[in-house]
Amino acid sequence: MLNTEPFDDIDRLSPAELERWWVRRLRAVFTVAARELPFYRERFAAAGFDPASFRALDDLNRMPIFAKADLLAAQRKTQSQRLGIERGADEPGSRTTFSLSSGTAGTTFITHTARWRRAQGMSSSRAHWWAGLRPGGTLVMSAPAWHSYAAIQPFIAMRFGMRCVVVSGTYLPRFADRVVDALVHFRPRFVTMFLPMVFSILDAARRRGIAGNELFAGVGSLVVTGAAITPGMRAHLKALTGVERVAEIAGTSENLLAVDCAYAEGLHVVSDTCHAQVIDRKTGLPVADGERGSVVHCALIPYGSLYLRYDSGDVGVINHTPCACGLPSPRIKLLGRWEDCFSIGARALLPYDVQLALEEEVPELKGAACVITREGLAEGKLRLLLIEPHGASAVSLLDHARSALSRRFDVPVEITPVKDLPLRFKGVPPILSEREAEL
Amino acid sequence: MALPHLADYPFYRERLGPDGRPAPWALADLESYAATHPGDPFAGRVIGAVTPKVALQMEATGEPPIWTALNPPELDRWAEVVGGMWSRWGAVASETIAFFDYGSSPMVLLASGGYVGYLRRGAAERLGIFAVCNDGVATMAPRMVGIVETVKPTMLVLRRDLVAPFVSALETAGVSLAQTVRWAAVSEVEGTVTREQAQAAASSLGVRVLRILRCDAAFMLAGECSECGCFHLDRRYRAEQLPSGEVAITTTFAVTCPSVRYNLGAARLAGAGCPLEPRAQRIEC
Ligand SMILES: [Zn+2]
Ligand SMILES: [Zn+2]
Repeated sequence: MLNTEPFDDIDRLSPAELERWWVRRLRAVFTVAARELPFYRERFAAAGFDPASFRALDDLNRMPIFAKADLLAAQRKTQSQRLGIERGADEPGSRTTFSLSSGTAGTTFITHTARWRRAQGMSSSRAHWWAGLRPGGTLVMSAPAWHSYAAIQPFIAMRFGMRCVVVSGTYLPRFADRVVDALVHFRPRFVTMFLPMVFSILDAARRRGIAGNELFAGVGSLVVTGAAITPGMRAHLKALTGVERVAEIAGTSENLLAVDCAYAEGLHVVSDTCHAQVIDRKTGLPVADGERGSVVHCALIPYGSLYLRYDSGDVGVINHTPCACGLPSPRIKLLGRWEDCFSIGARALLPYDVQLALEEEVPELKGAACVITREGLAEGKLRLLLIEPHGASAVSLLDHARSALSRRFDVPVEITPVKDLPLRFKGVPPILSEREAEL
Repeated sequence: MALPHLADYPFYRERLGPDGRPAPWALADLESYAATHPGDPFAGRVIGAVTPKVALQMEATGEPPIWTALNPPELDRWAEVVGGMWSRWGAVASETIAFFDYGSSPMVLLASGGYVGYLRRGAAERLGIFAVCNDGVATMAPRMVGIVETVKPTMLVLRRDLVAPFVSALETAGVSLAQTVRWAAVSEVEGTVTREQAQAAASSLGVRVLRILRCDAAFMLAGECSECGCFHLDRRYRAEQLPSGEVAITTTFAVTCPSVRYNLGAARLAGAGCPLEPRAQRIEC
């Protein structure tokens, strides 16, 4: 039973009905791709995949998987942002813009057309609705224009009849004062922001004598994106801001989209943006609920750049059990990137695991900013630089954390208290050399 | 659009002369008003009960930041001004324009309804051209080179302080701008680059450089004419020569946040008569 206010009838489907809806939608999108998009036509043919034969979600297992490397190879070959995955970009009135997907491997370009902005805008409206957005008020535009999220925010503002507030500059710590000014004057009820930026603006506000709960007064939902948050980080953000609901949105430029419901036990896949799976890296087959694997998705809006069977390089888990909220889509959690995965002792870990372990073993350290050092990992140790906790018990807290983490991960652990860390690294502990971590 | 009744606007009320017109004002006047009225983000230029659909924080003003505001028809008219500028610079359908600036810069915002809400037809959309925006920070210069190499824009818009890092990134990558780019338009956050700066930029970028005149407080954007070297004014701006040797601009489409007699500094009204656009008013600065 639906235990939340639905965005529309799609939210009222049962999980089985949503599955059937997905099969129809995927078949339609694959058909378009095979007919119109050379990138997929060639690769589907080479894999012997015929969209007409797509009858059930299990049929996804027969399809090839693509990743950033394939897109970059196509980009090198075409010497253009056109990879053969773009639909309708050259039609008259397409109103095409390009956004960028940057990463360690290189930059690819995403084509947005007016039809994509409208259809994706409606679907992203659902995501924002789930995260607590309601009509009226102010939307502080929080994505820089190069980012694909920026192509959606104008639609969201109009769909919900909100005032569009544009902060000058870009979303980097040195512009935090300007964001603070926007929040103070326009008092949004709903705020979305890249996680590290939340800390930057809290710092900027503090310098101006504005406490966190004053800065966020009137905000009902704070939605963070760009990094997985642990339960402790969520509690920490609530405490810092006084906002009742802190939600997480996981979105990629390639149109993977998932959002917390009010129960906050995993992010619901946004049903009409994409279908997502978590698959085993070796077999390419879906993993069991709760097991870690690669997140592979198919975007469902066949305009502009279309990403199908796309492995975003994220490590995730999936949960198909019904959620208390009653929304039909499964929940996923993106825990980090494979490129940030490190081996220590007998384990492969993500920075997320370290943060989770810290807050579970020493609840006083929830939300603590820390860095995992490369030098430590090279010596087979987990060496953390951690911002010194306040108070008389600080030394014993760190001692306790050291022994608890060492027991938990079965490796030597060193924790060095530091006065501060570069602001941009707050949120999820990054892996850095000790020199990079210096202020 | 009828001009608003300025006596209703606190910022103008104290500047009105006996002739009912406000004294010409500059950014510093707006800043001093803002400093004494910290609760008003619009510095007395938007009347209290109005809730404009779009609020823009000005880049040129520091602490406290000052905001301007627009409603959808005004946004559309401003975008038409920008479309006209690019069209005079020879933009044709299916080309791409690339920005090396913040997404909050009006030239970027006004390019497409994909960049700001409530814009019905952006400048790029009017001309059927495509748009791509990098970010306006120097560390993104290598990525800007990637945009040039891959997306192959024929037109570039960049802020003056980014010219040097961009040139150095082009050199490092061994990329020649002239292979694909016809012109680069260079802007300042407020006002315009000098002719000398534009010449220097042209020789280091290796393409024709055109100047932009930008005054966000007045919703003012104008482009340098490649024929006469003056800034051609869209018919939506009214310009007047001040006895001080400066030029004041009134923006007729600005109703929500009126902009009447904005002093853009030392300049000369050159009148009409450019062969490229004989009826356009022109400013020399
Ligand atoms: Zn739920
Ligand atoms: Zn001329």
